[in-house]
Amino acid sequence: MDVLLNQYYLQIAIFVLLNAILGVSIYMTLSTGQLSLGNAGFMSIGAYTCAILTVKAGLPLYLAIPIGGIAASFMSIIIGFPALRLTGIYLAIATLGFGEVVRVIILNLKITNGALGISGIPTLGAKIGKVFSSLGFSQGIGGLTAQQTSNLMVLVVLILSLAFLVFFCTRLNRSRVGRAFAAIKADEAAAEAMGINTTYYKLLAFALGALIAGIAGGLSAHLTFFIGPKDFAYNRTVEILTFAVLGGSDLIIGPIVGALLLTLLPELLRSASEYRLMIYGALMVAMMAFRPQGLISEETVRFWKGKLGRRVKK
Amino acid sequence: MKKSLTKILTGMMIGTLLLTTAGCGGAAPATNSGSQGGGAAKIGVVAYMTGGGAAYGQSQKEGLDLAKDEINAQGKVKIDLVFEDSRGNNTEAINAVNKLINKDNVVGLIGPTLSGEMFAAGPIANQSGVPIMGTSTTAEGITDLGEYVFRNALPESSAVPQAVKKAVEKYNLKKVAVMYSSNNDWAVSGYKTMEKALKDNGVEIVTTETFADKDTDFSAQLTKISSLKPDAVMVSSLYQEAALVLKKAREIGITVPFVGTNGFNSPELIKIAGKAAEGAIVASPWYPGKENEKIKKFVADYKAKYNKVPDQFAAQSYDALYIYANALEKAGSSTDRKKLRDSLATIKDFQGVTGKFAFDDKRNPLMNATVLIVKDGQFTELK
Repeated sequence: MDVLLNQYYLQIAIFVLLNAILGVSIYMTLSTGQLSLGNAGFMSIGAYTCAILTVKAGLPLYLAIPIGGIAASFMSIIIGFPALRLTGIYLAIATLGFGEVVRVIILNLKITNGALGISGIPTLGAKIGKVFSSLGFSQGIGGLTAQQTSNLMVLVVLILSLAFLVFFCTRLNRSRVGRAFAAIKADEAAAEAMGINTTYYKLLAFALGALIAGIAGGLSAHLTFFIGPKDFAYNRTVEILTFAVLGGSDLIIGPIVGALLLTLLPELLRSASEYRLMIYGALMVAMMAFRPQGLISEETVRFWKGKLGRRVKK
Repeated sequence: MKKSLTKILTGMMIGTLLLTTAGCGGAAPATNSGSQGGGAAKIGVVAYMTGGGAAYGQSQKEGLDLAKDEINAQGKVKIDLVFEDSRGNNTEAINAVNKLINKDNVVGLIGPTLSGEMFAAGPIANQSGVPIMGTSTTAEGITDLGEYVFRNALPESSAVPQAVKKAVEKYNLKKVAVMYSSNNDWAVSGYKTMEKALKDNGVEIVTTETFADKDTDFSAQLTKISSLKPDAVMVSSLYQEAALVLKKAREIGITVPFVGTNGFNSPELIKIAGKAAEGAIVASPWYPGKENEKIKKFVADYKAKYNKVPDQFAAQSYDALYIYANALEKAGSSTDRKKLRDSLATIKDFQGVTGKFAFDDKRNPLMNATVLIVKDGQFTELK
């Protein structure tokens, strides 16, 4: 039990979940076949909006985080109108450029404190801890320390958010909207010919992805105590994209598994010290050579379903 | 279809195999270090060892390793170092600090390399009640993170005013131009202290120009500065940009002295700027050319071990470990984190290679910097 409650493992689990949420955000835009590389930009809009609201305006977290997400989503609609006329690699470049623009703006604004970033952001754990101590559990619950309890609570909040997102996405996939997404992904021209308003659905997917990225940004600001423009540079976008590339972007579980693996790997490889990044890189190359479509595709799921189903029948 | 599945399975197996072997590897060094002696105090180090700033982390590691060997040879206290790489990334720094505290059970921490990383990782150490000491975190507000956060890095707020004051006295400065890198957190913080120091000394700022890290063309800013004829130019940036600024400035005929923040304090500045570096002024806690037995011995030992002259990062890390050793000796325990913090806070009159050292009541260092000027291609003391 002690091992499970070790703060180090709890912290990694928290980062895994955060990255999984980011994975879902890129899955959302990929589900219409759009490759958007603006997620780090949306994440930073969410993170900064949320941090400024809590640090400078003293807004409670449960309000600030959704507002951050909505701000990111709002921005995505503004830039989505012109950008979504582009497809494929052109859209990727345009959104990548957008991310950089956001970064440079943040760097030069006074309210974001420029390159110095915002420090002293209240943590999610501390906030939850305060609620608990006001309820009379100041010493933690059931023999756990206050710190462990608050970390566990953060974990619970993140698990619930992720579970909700997964539930939302699976429901979405079976709805009218989801089928429209799938149709656009399969063939945009054909989808349009069938009477699907492609601009509307593409924009919707784009805005939903930005909303999720913005919320993840708000959460991350309150998990790392400090945000600076450097945290949301283009390598963050690439990192988010690798979750989907490695895990597979057909199913929502793909980016989540990708986020899990790619967050855990560098930690598991810590003991290899200087060889860590080499092994990490080699593993990525090997994975891509064996599974260019990502670890989990619809085929994989069908295969395992068939296999398990047969066993049950016997 | 069947073939592709075999491929997945092999891929997965290779993956798991690698993971498990990597996991096993972790246990081996631990037993190794245990055999070094019963009461060895474990100190965790978080440094920027891979990526763009790897040179800084490498110097820190070398300085620490040298200090560790000496301290263990003296035998008053035994110290074990556990190194973790942060890649200059905040999340990585948080993970590394968490790992060192909760998995390796270190008694104290040194690092991380960058101020930004400290802002992210410092609160964790503070919450867990583990002393953490930055050796290169010079930005404002670091020790406000909590009472377990220390630093022996001379903050810009203390070094820059010393350089400015000396330059004003020496060259009778009346009006100056200021330049800084606006996308570097540390350079912006340096600029702010510079501005304040100039105001305190009654010097007029005729213009403030900005540029960005990795810029290579500074002609627009410097032409403007040249037309205003200032008595000196103040620059807050890392050495790469500083060197290029100096080069360009000398080219278009600005001959006045340049005063810099800690970024100027690197032999690389002279290497890149060459003759243009003449007249560059910086305040530094570390000056290898000083007439002092302790410094001479450190430079000689470092040279013998790594075949190069120690830089500021190595020197400050070297001192940091000695400060820890002193505190551990006073605390009389190699595992009690609270005791270690309390005895660290009382460190006074410590004589290190970066000079006489004490912590003030906000756990910032109280130490004097030497103001250096580049003369004949070498840093020499500005008297």
